[in-house]
Amino acid sequence: MSGDVYEGAHLGKADAVLKTVGLEKAFGGLVATDDVSIEVERGTITGMIGPNGAGKSTLFNLISGFYELDEGRVMVNGDDVTELEPHERARKGLVRTFQTPRRLEGMSVREAMLVGPGPQAGESVFSLFFSGDEVTREERANIKQARELLERFEIGHLIDQPSTDLSGGQLKLVELARAFTTNPDILLLDEPVAGVNPTLANDIKRFIRELNEEGQTFLIIEHDMPFIMDLADPIIVLDQGKVLMEGTPDEVRTDDRVIEAYLGGAGP
Amino acid sequence: MSVATWVNETLVRDKSERRIFAVLGLITVLLVVGVVTGVVGLSFLLFQVSLVGMYALLSLGLNVQWGYAGLINFSVAAFWGLGAYCAALLTAPNSPLGLGLHPVFGFLAAIVVSALVAILIGIPTLRLREDYLAIASLGLAEVIRLIILNERQWTAGSSGISGIPALIPWLPLTRLATTASVVVVLGVLIYLFLRRTHRSPWGRVLRTIRSDEDLAKALGKDTYQFKMQAFVIGSVIMAIAGAFYAHLNLYLDPSDLVPLTTFYIWIAVILGGTGSNRGAVVGAAVVIAIREGTRFINDVPAIGSLGLDVAPLRLLFVGVLIILIMRYRQDGLLPPKDELIWPAAKDKASAPSGGSPKPQTGGDD
Ligand SMILES: Nc1ncnc2c1ncn2[C@@H]1O[C@H](COP(=O)(O)OP(=O)(O)O)[C@@H](O)[C@H]1O
Ligand SMILES: [Mg+2]
Repeated sequence: MSGDVYEGAHLGKADAVLKTVGLEKAFGGLVATDDVSIEVERGTITGMIGPNGAGKSTLFNLISGFYELDEGRVMVNGDDVTELEPHERARKGLVRTFQTPRRLEGMSVREAMLVGPGPQAGESVFSLFFSGDEVTREERANIKQARELLERFEIGHLIDQPSTDLSGGQLKLVELARAFTTNPDILLLDEPVAGVNPTLANDIKRFIRELNEEGQTFLIIEHDMPFIMDLADPIIVLDQGKVLMEGTPDEVRTDDRVIEAYLGGAGP
Repeated sequence: MSVATWVNETLVRDKSERRIFAVLGLITVLLVVGVVTGVVGLSFLLFQVSLVGMYALLSLGLNVQWGYAGLINFSVAAFWGLGAYCAALLTAPNSPLGLGLHPVFGFLAAIVVSALVAILIGIPTLRLREDYLAIASLGLAEVIRLIILNERQWTAGSSGISGIPALIPWLPLTRLATTASVVVVLGVLIYLFLRRTHRSPWGRVLRTIRSDEDLAKALGKDTYQFKMQAFVIGSVIMAIAGAFYAHLNLYLDPSDLVPLTTFYIWIAVILGGTGSNRGAVVGAAVVIAIREGTRFINDVPAIGSLGLDVAPLRLLFVGVLIILIMRYRQDGLLPPKDELIWPAAKDKASAPSGGSPKPQTGGDD
């Protein structure tokens, strides 16, 4: 494939929650992210696809601050967050989940859910001794929110379970619910249905769509084509660290370059 | 309310623990009977209680660092030594500083100095992977020991500091009874402090960091700050234990700062159940029982007649004990059981969910 088939993403969107400008990242000699500029419009579910090793997870790590950028800038709601730590970016409204589910050793699902909201008064040792009532009030509200959200995701019965006992799919749901409790402006989900059985994957799709209808913006990496084609619009295609194209599911599905990228990736 | 009921309601979390507390209760009763009948000397027992109390403080401190936050600190003995030297130097009239201040100032200095040292070690290491703190703390332990040994003009070096005053001399108790009471009061206060901080959003963030720091970051938690707080709080508690020791022993020299103390405290925390404050206290008692108990094994006629000196085999007993625990009680004697949720919020908030088959009483489960 020659260089000019890389058309890039659509830029200049009216109300971009997330915007990246010329992101670059190399691991040794391997260029994992190559001049990636994308924009995620508020209120959309933007999909991100690409063959294995295309650099999707790396891009998430760059956007969320877990990897250091070689070059480029990241903006959230128009603010430059390039110099910020991961937790500071999360506070700015940019919250991500991880491709491999993170199990919280020794915590119940209820506890795992309660880590989401923040900053909480009870996260300060000082408040624990001098504003106990405020801590109690917040904690009650957070427990209530956690229970309601789990019930809404139809896993309310799991609230007392050790979070290490959940199936992969249930864990993905808890992660989605917990990420939502941070009240993010944009949620970055890395393969939300990888390794999840089809029934549960359908549930997850339904819940994501519901949250989106209530105004939540998503950027979702997903390998499962039918899933992402059904859920996301627009879809950004990544290949060899570069943005190949962006378009509607139909445009992506019928694009020769995309087909070639996937066939090429499946090659040797 | 009887003591047994109180223990049952506030400390015991399940059946297997009831047995452990029963054994602990039995030992306590035996010791009391021993004192009453004259088999066990009262001052000996009070000294042991003081040692257990001090070890319990050290274990509680390490539990905040390792049990709550997953921080690997190999300089328990160093923070303990810092506290002990702060107390000795400020209060002993014939220390190189020659100030002869009230013990309160020794404790305050121990708190301030240990907090500062903890921050200085934490700044370069807590942003990095967890092994950096482990390595740095190994180095710190040795550096502090060498400084105390060599800076004679400040610390009296290897000749040590004597004439450290006893605590609260006007109490109408023997010196050891006063010391034992002081450590029990200190222990209870610190235990209550830690319990409140543990079952809270703060404790929850620390546990999240312990099991997955990236996840905590992704949820917007400033993990560096939380780790620093846990490290400082733990180190300060260790230094308080050290200051207490100075007033228990009345004499201090650098040979007290052996790395073996750090090892014993790690054993106590793991044995008791990493992450559990109750476990840290019980683990400390078990370690002292082994450490001090092996001193007397040679006096048992059957063993003495073997012509074998058993005391040096102490570490072997510790090793065997660890293997037994790992085999039969992997998570320690009293592993953490509580949900890290603010108890005052829990009662009412979790009641309406109902239908939970798990019987729950009050804030503990
Ligand atoms: N931390 C890392 N160190 C070295 N190479 C990495 C690292 N993370 C990703 N890579 C490499 O970058 C490329 C892109 O990986 P990744 O972003 O995980 O792809 P995707 O998520 O699209 O499957 C791969 O070749 C991978 O081996
Ligand atoms: Mg990936």
